[in-house]
Amino acid sequence: METMNTYNGTILVVDLDAQTCTTEELSTDLIEQGLGGAGINLLLYEQYKDRNPLVLGSGLLTATFAPAACCGVMTAKSPVTGQIAHVPFGWQTGVEMKLTGFDFVVILGTSPKPVRLWLHDGLSDINDAADIWGKDVWASVDKIREAYGDEMVQTLIIGPAGENKQSLAQVCENYWGSKDKAGLGAVFGAKNLKAVAMRGLGSLEVAEGFFQKCMELKNEIVGGSIKGKAGLYDIGAALGIDATALEKMKTMIHRNNAAYNCPYPYYTFLKYNEPPAAMDMKGHAEPGCLVSDIAGFAALAATGSDPARAFERCCRFGLEPLGTAAALKKQGAGDVAQIDKLAGTGTAEGIPVWPVCVDQQQAIMAITKALSFAVPPRAPFSQDGGAQTWVARQAVAYLLGIDPVIMLLAPELTEEKLAALVALAADWDDFSADTLKKIANAVITKST
Amino acid sequence: MALKVQPLQCTGCRICEFACNYHHDTTISPIGSSIMFYFEEKKNYYGLMVKRDKSLLLGRPEGEKVLLPGEQIEGAGASAKPILLRVACDLCKDEDNGPVCIQACPYGVLSVEGA
Ligand code: SF4
Ligand code: SF4
Repeated sequence: METMNTYNGTILVVDLDAQTCTTEELSTDLIEQGLGGAGINLLLYEQYKDRNPLVLGSGLLTATFAPAACCGVMTAKSPVTGQIAHVPFGWQTGVEMKLTGFDFVVILGTSPKPVRLWLHDGLSDINDAADIWGKDVWASVDKIREAYGDEMVQTLIIGPAGENKQSLAQVCENYWGSKDKAGLGAVFGAKNLKAVAMRGLGSLEVAEGFFQKCMELKNEIVGGSIKGKAGLYDIGAALGIDATALEKMKTMIHRNNAAYNCPYPYYTFLKYNEPPAAMDMKGHAEPGCLVSDIAGFAALAATGSDPARAFERCCRFGLEPLGTAAALKKQGAGDVAQIDKLAGTGTAEGIPVWPVCVDQQQAIMAITKALSFAVPPRAPFSQDGGAQTWVARQAVAYLLGIDPVIMLLAPELTEEKLAALVALAADWDDFSADTLKKIANAVITKST
Repeated sequence: MALKVQPLQCTGCRICEFACNYHHDTTISPIGSSIMFYFEEKKNYYGLMVKRDKSLLLGRPEGEKVLLPGEQIEGAGASAKPILLRVACDLCKDEDNGPVCIQACPYGVLSVEGA
């Protein structure tokens, strides 16, 4: 086995009580047992479970040429479910973490004062965060990028909701929302951890023939179920999301963006402070918002508020949009200003429920509550395999660092093909789809 | 012959950039590529630039522009500066299957002009 083709070989242990950072070697043993992502996170979580661990992990294929290999996974005890939750982090953040030189980051204890963790070029610093504590997410990201002198710094960051330890809080990816529906924003807040800022200019080795195999699979995906489709709109339409919300979205679509190496662009940028067709950069400093959560967007629309502006407020305050919409509805308020107040009072009432595919979501939750419903509960563009298949395939994505939404959209990403990529990338001859499925299944049964 | 960019079809997935680094250096990394993604994130303003032998191609969303030595990079964001230190695009002339950035792009954004 030559897993150092896909890993740097380093685990960072951050002790917030003692304000120290130490490194450990990522052993072959650990990789054989847990592969990566949620699998190794869980082993590290167990190892440090008396210290209230928050574990950030790269997938085995994260940052490689494997299609959609853009995610890392955060693992911690969720204040929403009281159980272990695994939350994928993508956009450019998952790739950035691996390229900082740290494959896994274990964050223990509580800092005596607000801090941010700065990971870059194999170095780690615990920096004071007094300058951004209390600020909203957008202002904080601006400040962090300014402080480190690089606008490509990627952040996992909380807003006032997380600082106030509200279970409705969401960890944000830069300015935008994320796949956190488990209240991990409150976990950051309880640790006095405002942000993990990352800039990765490292490099990984590539096995002979790996690039070509990845290109073949990417071409199969591009010509498969997603062909001719783009953006959040098409996903929403296929799932039967409320047409009024979708039409509202359509009037604001600027561009559809993709996360690192993703063959489907499901991050849709909406412009509402200037015409959506404006392409230069001379206009409004903050022309709109990037949205990747169609359920949250539609639920906010259903409260009677302007969904795009409401979504922006959720991003700024670090609030999970679907749960925020439920809280607004309960208060009978469709007023965007009400969202700000939830940053101080927002309690999640369980895992937020999609406005569509409710039965399938319930069936999945009966199997596990450890995975993120930022991913639709059923496949929009292809034959759906039911709740068991959803869980099994998602768990595989969480081990390897594959974007879980793309895993759902593209049935061409089979366990067999992914196992073959692992075998090739890591020079792991006897690695099979059965091993992959077995480890994925163990993650689900042990995440309670 | 030169690499051509259709900026509005680009989704910002950045795999062309990593593929180019792989062509030059056989590793996965964003630092050694001739093609570079730049991004003003809050404005969702992004595009690609390509370091050519004697010029720089700016694939901006409002249109392409070729910059000659000495001309200022504008409209490409501060993240654009390191491109000046990069190796020039060699159109992957030693690659069996042609330019690897074109192979990697899922959206058909890149092509060779004058081929
Ligand atoms: S053609 Fe080759 S050298 Fe030129 S930008 Fe593309 S990958 Fe890089
Ligand atoms: S690979 Fe294609 S879509 Fe992705 S950033 Fe490059 S040109 Fe844009």
